Amino acid sequence: MKHNKLYDTLFLAPGFLVYIIFMIIPVIMCFLYSFTNWDGISASFRFIGLKNFVNLFQDASFFQALKVTLIIMVLTTLIYNILGIILAALLNDTGKLLGFSRSAIFIPTVLSAVVVAFIWSYVMQTNGGVINAIIEMFGGTKVDFYATPMTTIFMISGIICWNSLGFFVVIYISTLTTIPQEIYEACKVDGAGWFYRFFHITLPLLAPGITINCILSVAGGLKQYDHVKVITGGGPGGATQTVTLFGVEKAFEYNRRGYSSAAIIILFIIIVIFSIVQLAISKKHEVEY
Amino acid sequence: MSMMKIGGWIKRILVLIFALVYLAPLYIAVVNAVKPYDEIIKSPLTLPKQFTLNNFVEAYQSSNMLELYKNSIVITVSSVALLILLTSMAAYIIARRKGKVYQMLYVFSLAGIMIPPVVTLIPSIKTLSALHLLYTMPGLLLFYAGTYFSTTIFLYVGFIKTIPASLDESAFIDGANPFTTFFRIIFPLIKPCTATAIIFLGMWIWNDFLNPMYILGFRGGKTITTGIYNAIGAYTSMWNLVFANVMLASLPIIILYLCMQKMFMQGLTSGAVKG
Repeated sequence: MKHNKLYDTLFLAPGFLVYIIFMIIPVIMCFLYSFTNWDGISASFRFIGLKNFVNLFQDASFFQALKVTLIIMVLTTLIYNILGIILAALLNDTGKLLGFSRSAIFIPTVLSAVVVAFIWSYVMQTNGGVINAIIEMFGGTKVDFYATPMTTIFMISGIICWNSLGFFVVIYISTLTTIPQEIYEACKVDGAGWFYRFFHITLPLLAPGITINCILSVAGGLKQYDHVKVITGGGPGGATQTVTLFGVEKAFEYNRRGYSSAAIIILFIIIVIFSIVQLAISKKHEVEY
Repeated sequence: MSMMKIGGWIKRILVLIFALVYLAPLYIAVVNAVKPYDEIIKSPLTLPKQFTLNNFVEAYQSSNMLELYKNSIVITVSSVALLILLTSMAAYIIARRKGKVYQMLYVFSLAGIMIPPVVTLIPSIKTLSALHLLYTMPGLLLFYAGTYFSTTIFLYVGFIKTIPASLDESAFIDGANPFTTFFRIIFPLIKPCTATAIIFLGMWIWNDFLNPMYILGFRGGKTITTGIYNAIGAYTSMWNLVFANVMLASLPIIILYLCMQKMFMQGLTSGAVKG
C-alpha cells in the first residue's frame, strides 16, 4: 500500500506545529532565560552566564522553597501509596456498601484545588474551626495548625492528599483486579492467612501499579501550587512557598523572569532525575507471572 | 464459613465509617451553605435550624457565577475538542507508518510528558503576546493544546495500534482517501480512548488555576477557579458566602461524576494501567 506523503503531512502538521510552538520552543526559551537578566518587560536583555543559579544557591528563600516542596512531595507520596494500597485491598470486593465507599472516596478527586483549599481552611481554623470545635467538645485543648511553617506544611500535605487520594485508590484497585484469583486460592489451600497473602502475593504483584502511582505522586508533589496559594499564599514571609510558587512570584510580581526561569529549571531537573531513578528501580522489582 | 462472613461485614462497616468521615468536610460545606452567618458561628456541625437560600443568591450575584460557568464550559469543551482532533490525527499516522522517521517522531512527541506546565508558562506568555493572543481564550486553548499534546498522543497511539490495519487497507482499495478512512472508519472505533481522553483532559482543564490566572488574566474572562478565588478573597471570613460559592462551583461537577461514575472509573483505569 502506497502512502501519500501529502496526506501524512496534513495529518501530522497541525498537532506538531502547536506542540512545537507551545511546548518545545518554550522549554528551550526557559533554559535560555535562565542564563539572562530579562525582566519580562524590556525588549533587551543580557546573557549573564550562571549568575542566576549562583544567586539562587545563596538565596535562603529559594532553599526554603526547595525544602517545602520536597517535604510535601515525600509526605503526599507516602500517604497516597500506603493508605492507597490499604484502602484498595479493603475495597477490592463486591457488595453495595463497598461500592458506595468507593464512590465516596473518589468524590473529592473531581473537585478543584481552589474549592478544596477553601473548605479545609475553614475546617482547620484555630478559632471557630470544626476540628478544634470537636477537640474542645471532648475536653481537649485547641491545636494551632498554623503554629509553625512546618505544621502548616504538614496540614497542607494532608489536604492535598484528601483531594486526590481517590485517584490513586482507583488505580490500585484496577491493578489488583489483574492479579489472577487462582494464586490466592492456591495460597488459601496451603493455609496462608490474610497478612501472609497481603505481603507475599498482593504487594509484589502490585508493582506495576506502585510504579505508576509513585511516578505520578512524586511529579505531582513537586509541582504543587494551587492548594498552597489559596491556603497561605506562601506566607508568612515566604516560609511555606513551594518552588513553583517562588518561580511564579519572582516572574510576575518582581519581574525577574531570568531568575525565576533558573529556579524552574532546577525544579524541572529534579523531576527528571526522580523519574529516571524510579523507572530504573521499578524495572528491577516488577515480577513476571 | 460464618466466621469469614462476620469478618467480611466488620470490614465493610469499618470501610463505610472511614468513607463517611472522609466525606465530612463536604457535609460541612453543604450544611453551612444553607445557614445564616450567626448560626455557622454558633453551631457549625448541626443541620440548619434556619434554612436559607440567601447565601446562594448573594454568592451568585457577587461572583457573577453564570459568566464563570460560561467561560469554563467554553474553554474546557473547545480545548478538549481541539486536542482530540489534533492528536488523534497525528497519532493515526504515527501508529500506522513504519520506519525510523515515525519512530523518532513518536519519541519526540512524548518528550512533553515529564515537563511541568510552569516551565512553559512564562515563555508562552511572551509568545502569546507577540501573537496578540495574550488575555484571550484562543490563546489559552493553544497553550492547553501544546501542554497536553504528549499525554493525549500517548493514549491514542497505543490504542490505534490495537485496531487491525486491514481495515484501512480495504478502505484504500475501495478508493477512500485518508481523511474519509480516518473519520469514517478509525475515529468511531477509537471511541473508548476518546472517552478516556475527555475525562482526563476535561478534569485537568476544568480545575486548572495557575494557567488561566496568568494567560487569561481577569481581563480575558474569569473561569470557575479564578473567579471564585477572586470572589472569596473579597470576603474571606463570611463563611456562609464562601460555602455557597464552593457549592455553586462544585455541585455540577459532583452531579456529573455521580451520573457517569462507571465511565469515570473505566476511563481513568484504562488510561493509567495497561491490562
